Amino acid sequence: MSFIELKKICKKYPNAAKNSVTDFNLEINEKEFIAFVGPSGCGKSTTLRMIAGFEDITSGELYIDGKLMNEVKPCDRGIAMVFQNYALYPHMTVEKNISYGLKNMKVPADKIKEKVDWAIDILGLSEYRYRKPKNLSGGQRQRVALGRAIVKDSKVFLMDEPLSNLDAKLRVSMRNEISKLHRELGSTTIYVTHDQVEAMTMADRIVIMKDGVVQQVGKPMELYEHPVNKFVAGFIGSPQMNFYDVSIDGNIVKFSDGKTMKLPESVISKLGGKTSGLILGIRGEDIKLEAQSLDVYKDTKQSAVIENTEVMGNENNLYFTFGGTVTIARVSKYEISRVGDTIEFVFNPSRIHFFDKETENCLF
Amino acid sequence: MKTRKSKVLGIILVVVMIILSLLFLFPVVWMIANSFKGDAAITADMNTIQAFVPPAPGKGFFNNYVSIITDTNFLRYMLNTLFYAALLIVLGVVVNGLAGYALAKIKFPFRDKWLMIIMMLMIIPSETIITINFLFIAKLGLLNTVIGYILPMIVNPFNIFLFRQVFVSLPDDVYEAAQLDHCGPVKYFFTMVLPMSKTVVATVSVFTFLNVWNDYLWPSLVFTSSDLLTTQIGLNSITSNENTTMGQTLAVITLITIPVIIIYSLFSKQIVEGVVSTGSKEG
Repeated sequence: MSFIELKKICKKYPNAAKNSVTDFNLEINEKEFIAFVGPSGCGKSTTLRMIAGFEDITSGELYIDGKLMNEVKPCDRGIAMVFQNYALYPHMTVEKNISYGLKNMKVPADKIKEKVDWAIDILGLSEYRYRKPKNLSGGQRQRVALGRAIVKDSKVFLMDEPLSNLDAKLRVSMRNEISKLHRELGSTTIYVTHDQVEAMTMADRIVIMKDGVVQQVGKPMELYEHPVNKFVAGFIGSPQMNFYDVSIDGNIVKFSDGKTMKLPESVISKLGGKTSGLILGIRGEDIKLEAQSLDVYKDTKQSAVIENTEVMGNENNLYFTFGGTVTIARVSKYEISRVGDTIEFVFNPSRIHFFDKETENCLF
Repeated sequence: MKTRKSKVLGIILVVVMIILSLLFLFPVVWMIANSFKGDAAITADMNTIQAFVPPAPGKGFFNNYVSIITDTNFLRYMLNTLFYAALLIVLGVVVNGLAGYALAKIKFPFRDKWLMIIMMLMIIPSETIITINFLFIAKLGLLNTVIGYILPMIVNPFNIFLFRQVFVSLPDDVYEAAQLDHCGPVKYFFTMVLPMSKTVVATVSVFTFLNVWNDYLWPSLVFTSSDLLTTQIGLNSITSNENTTMGQTLAVITLITIPVIIIYSLFSKQIVEGVVSTGSKEG
């Protein structure tokens, strides 16, 4: 049996017109690292808070380690939580912040000292032991918050956008530290973030949410390679997938700006005869410019004028208008193009996704 | 960088403030200086600069103070008042603090309307309800008791408002973190909320102390036993005694003023911060 189980969980706030979370179903295995990801207001934090016990569950059932938790107090759920704004006790030193919960749990003093020493050591907080939170940097504060969580031997860690207040460089190093901690402690972790990079790099599985509804659950690469709908396809990946309104005539794809592209029969046949109301999606890195690809995928060859370039160091992003929309191609750093250059490019047909324009579901 | 004009303006401002401070200090200096003198010396120095200069320390320097402390119950009155103030500070912080916390953080029906009613109570002068309080305490049979004196003074709408304004800005996630740390709501209030709001606790404590220290009307109604009287009533009874000299009167007033000056000096920063924070935080 799974370690945490959410069965048809719904949340509706009083006087709200609709549910904040609707029919949330998920089974989380022990020691798994799950990321809830989605745009602001999608219900990911609300779901996490329902798991923590800070929000009532309107309907549905929550099980942790086989026990129904709907009516159990937060402190009795066996969870530890790291908050977005750290939620440290400002009048207590680092040491007291970390040991406070243990003292309340009546853990013997020598055991508390042992655990606090271990946490302070593992998180590199030794020189800040007697400092108060106001005298710590954002990264140090977040480490204290992590320390407070790990000393309690909780089986479940909940993290609510723990890195969102840190600068980009610190975020990368803290990401690494959290992943390392997760591996060392072997606790089940639920991590809420709006940053898909965090979710992709840290999680065993990702839950993508929109408007309170789970869109897809899967391993990072599953979501990237096989998104179930246009929302997931657009949300995962940076730069986001390029989308075009298209129709099909035989083997020919017609774009809204009148341009056409011939696709292999093997691709078209997967549409099951649907010829209109389609959205074609392709990721930036599947738009190829190099000579070999131009030759291999010559049936899809197109041309466009570069409107903008982004030099990322390890790669370049090229912006141009094609198919009635701004397209971003992600090319190698050796593919040097300037604004105003006309380029030839091809789509890798095996990497093309088709979505139903009405339902936005992926057709294949 | 400061311009020459702004520097000159700054100097003028400082000079004006020093002159104003001296004007305010003159009566206090005069009072303290003359509290060490006999009536003859006070009268003799009245129209000279000597009125602001204490006599040279020597035999009889503290005569006025010694006679006030030994010949009257004034020390007892001071200790009584300090005791009432301490009691009311503790009870006031707890009761008004809890009320402020409820109004700031706990959702219950008509919460905002309750806050409005409490704020409206702030504009009612305490003198207008003193008769009701007196009748109430008399009906309870609590006249001439400490409980009868402090009971109507515990709840203070202004203090509730001060607490509420500070508590409303306390982050909710700290409470949630404390919940996960097995800290119940009562423990959270005493070990987290109050320590996190030291400034407003200090402000309310100082206001409560001053309120009790300067109160005359209410204790004069409730207390009849001289064992329970407060400083202000003591001051009145001592100064209205025809045998009390002017020097002794000034010594009593000095004794009453000193704690207030000490309290203000120690907590002026907290008082300003406390009152400013209640206005600047989102409500």
